Amino acid sequence: MTALAGTGPLVRLCLRRDRLKLLIYVLVVGAIPIGMAAAYKVLYPTAAGLQAFADLSMSTPATVGMLGLIYAPTVGALTAWRAGLNGMFFIAPVSILLIVRYTRAEEAVGRRELLGGSVVGRQAPLTAALIVVCAVDLLLGVFIAAGLISLGLSAAGAVVMGLSAAAAGWVFAALAAVTAQLTVSPGPARGMALVMFALSWLVRAVGDLGRAQGLAWLSWLSPLGWVRLTRAFADEQWWVFVLFVALGAALAAMAYALSARRDLAAGILPVPVGPAEAAPALNSPRALAWRLHRGGLLGWSVAAAGFGLLLGIVGVSMAGFVDAPQMQAWAQRMGAHDAGDAFLFLTMFVLGQVISVYAILAALRLRSEEVEGRAEAVLATAVSRLRWALSHVTIAALGPAVLLIVLGLTIGLGYGLTAHNLVQDSPRLLHRTLLTLPAIWVVAGIAVALYGWLPRRAAALTWAAFAVFLALELGWELQQVSQSLFNISPFAHVHWSIQVTAAPLLGLTALAAVLAAIGLLGLQRRDVG
Amino acid sequence: MTAAISASGLVKSFGRTRALDGLDLSVDTGAIHGFLGPNGAGKTTTLRILLGLLRADAGDVQLLGGDPWRDAVALHRRLAYVPGDVTLWPELSGGEVIDLLGRLRGGFDARRRASLLERFDLDPTKKCGTYSKGNRQKVALIAALASDVELLLLDEPTSGLDPLMEAQFREIVMEERAGNRTVLLSSHILAEVEAVCDRVTIIRAGQTVESGTLAELRHLTQTSVTAELAGPPSGLAELPGVHDLQVDGTRVRCQVDAGELNAVLGQLTAAGVRNLVTQPPTLEELFMRHYRTDAQAGDDPSRGHPEVAR
Repeated sequence: MTALAGTGPLVRLCLRRDRLKLLIYVLVVGAIPIGMAAAYKVLYPTAAGLQAFADLSMSTPATVGMLGLIYAPTVGALTAWRAGLNGMFFIAPVSILLIVRYTRAEEAVGRRELLGGSVVGRQAPLTAALIVVCAVDLLLGVFIAAGLISLGLSAAGAVVMGLSAAAAGWVFAALAAVTAQLTVSPGPARGMALVMFALSWLVRAVGDLGRAQGLAWLSWLSPLGWVRLTRAFADEQWWVFVLFVALGAALAAMAYALSARRDLAAGILPVPVGPAEAAPALNSPRALAWRLHRGGLLGWSVAAAGFGLLLGIVGVSMAGFVDAPQMQAWAQRMGAHDAGDAFLFLTMFVLGQVISVYAILAALRLRSEEVEGRAEAVLATAVSRLRWALSHVTIAALGPAVLLIVLGLTIGLGYGLTAHNLVQDSPRLLHRTLLTLPAIWVVAGIAVALYGWLPRRAAALTWAAFAVFLALELGWELQQVSQSLFNISPFAHVHWSIQVTAAPLLGLTALAAVLAAIGLLGLQRRDVG
Repeated sequence: MTAAISASGLVKSFGRTRALDGLDLSVDTGAIHGFLGPNGAGKTTTLRILLGLLRADAGDVQLLGGDPWRDAVALHRRLAYVPGDVTLWPELSGGEVIDLLGRLRGGFDARRRASLLERFDLDPTKKCGTYSKGNRQKVALIAALASDVELLLLDEPTSGLDPLMEAQFREIVMEERAGNRTVLLSSHILAEVEAVCDRVTIIRAGQTVESGTLAELRHLTQTSVTAELAGPPSGLAELPGVHDLQVDGTRVRCQVDAGELNAVLGQLTAAGVRNLVTQPPTLEELFMRHYRTDAQAGDDPSRGHPEVAR
């Protein structure tokens, strides 16, 4: 088997590079279902409590769409439901990213070539990557099963649940092994596999939501559907693992066949080409920044539109769902029509925080452009630092505004169409969505300020500040953090539960502008590169 | 002749590392000036100071009559820069990057762009993410060479180019000589610098060690001679241009200046040659010799004696 020569050392190389990260991944992702099982045992000590919780969850379309069906009102079955698909949000992307990291990314930077000169067979890197990732997924599954058994849950259910997580990880690892053969650069290989992940999510969600319409069979077409269809802790269906193994093996076989056929560093798909000359408009730092950010902004906009439509539609059904009198009173205090509105306000606020992530990423693009030497190329031309930096800061400021507008309009559209009051509802919901914008600007402003003065630590400190804001909010909601402490967070001043006035909005906007100006001043004075 | 670049006493530290330690550099307008040094000598740091990306801790620097830190934008209209490690935007095509950089600099010659694309054999429709290192280097070179500027700052521009393209590059730089452009060519390839440059500055550990015309520095290009003789040699030590002579019975090793090789060979054949190896010194050897001389003379107490330092 000369094609596999050197697999052992390559496995050790992968582990040497990532052993700590892999260990943390297994412990953290594995701890989530174990923690949930422990929490359910405490929260719902009676069968009636479990039944009530299960009924409540199953009657909410949003949770069924997100998490799938509950098969039995027991601690084990609820854990498998709550953590099963939730865990796939980590396991599938991590498996995909690791495979591409060990295979195509290595080839793209030329390190694979370095190894090719030594005694390494042509299938060895792919084999080593699959061994490492599948072993890590299996370890995660074993950890979950062991944790659940130690909590006194049934061994069969625990093993099925752990194995479901591992087996789904294997399928997405094998899928990434295929996409890694197709393209020359690692980005599209990751992208294609992640899109397939999103599609299997969608297919499963439609199957679970549309079971009354006879669409349940759709869930059987998706490996993510199988994660629930193994029915851990609810009459386990062991034979479903045949599906996982068959699909995983078929994908792996395809990856090997493609890998054997292609040249080193080549792909199967044609290399994308671009224009031989730049369009006349590509003549300024701003045009360049727009070109670099537009793909990402489009992706985020599509996601925001999808979420917005879904939420708008779900919001109407929520109106009848949480119609308790105290919810009504609270909703009226806030200027919301009903509890459905209140649900939308909360969700808009949380999605606004998610959009802060976009703002941070866009602002920190300054740093990655600098680190990777591309800023140098621009700054060595007749472009001032200020002009270059402003080109990205503009995107970090306007991008979130675009996303919030898309979100607000689609929520209004979904809500208005379902509730037949489009003209009245849309402006009201759009207005509420846009209220988070000044807080998002402050977060972006922090990123720019740190970039100007502490470029090396800018990314870490910005994310840390963002995490602190979220933690303060959580503590405040649990009444462990005082209002004045929570007020440190910009989100405190646009929180969904308060009536937001103009003064804090103007204050936050001014603060964001000052922070950005401080950052740009720092950039003027320091070394670049 | 006026100086396009004049820097004196440049100092730049990064944390505890002293990248530049009193560096001097003077480049005449219209000259093709070689900037030589081993990796880590401070070539890139010097270029980044000249571009106003870094600010020197001490020393004076003038570029095209301006201050590179204060007047960066105005000066950059008049110069083009090729970094040593070219990174480009993976989503843009090579042609787009060439045009973009040219436009940001304030315009370029479209005819020259076309001819350079042909001479460097570059496909401008490929996305930069799929280019090899050599092809990324070509993109940056074409963008710089196609622009109509007074000064070219090139940082190891041929790293990653194949020998054919390297020859093409030398030819193009030779043409620049006629075009009255100033070129500062940083390199660690002695042959490349010898082929195209009028003047050379050699730096080591952030300091200038040699600067002058190639003729002035010709003494650096000594040939190393190793011979196995029939009998013991005589008269070698008295010959001019013989350095580092070591005689071990019938084995002889020495360094010989370029013009004196004939006389040395005469003495060797007189003693009867059994085996003879001659070798031009590499740049690294030149630097090693500088280093040894400094350490033995002990003229730089801050650096310390290597044995003591260890």
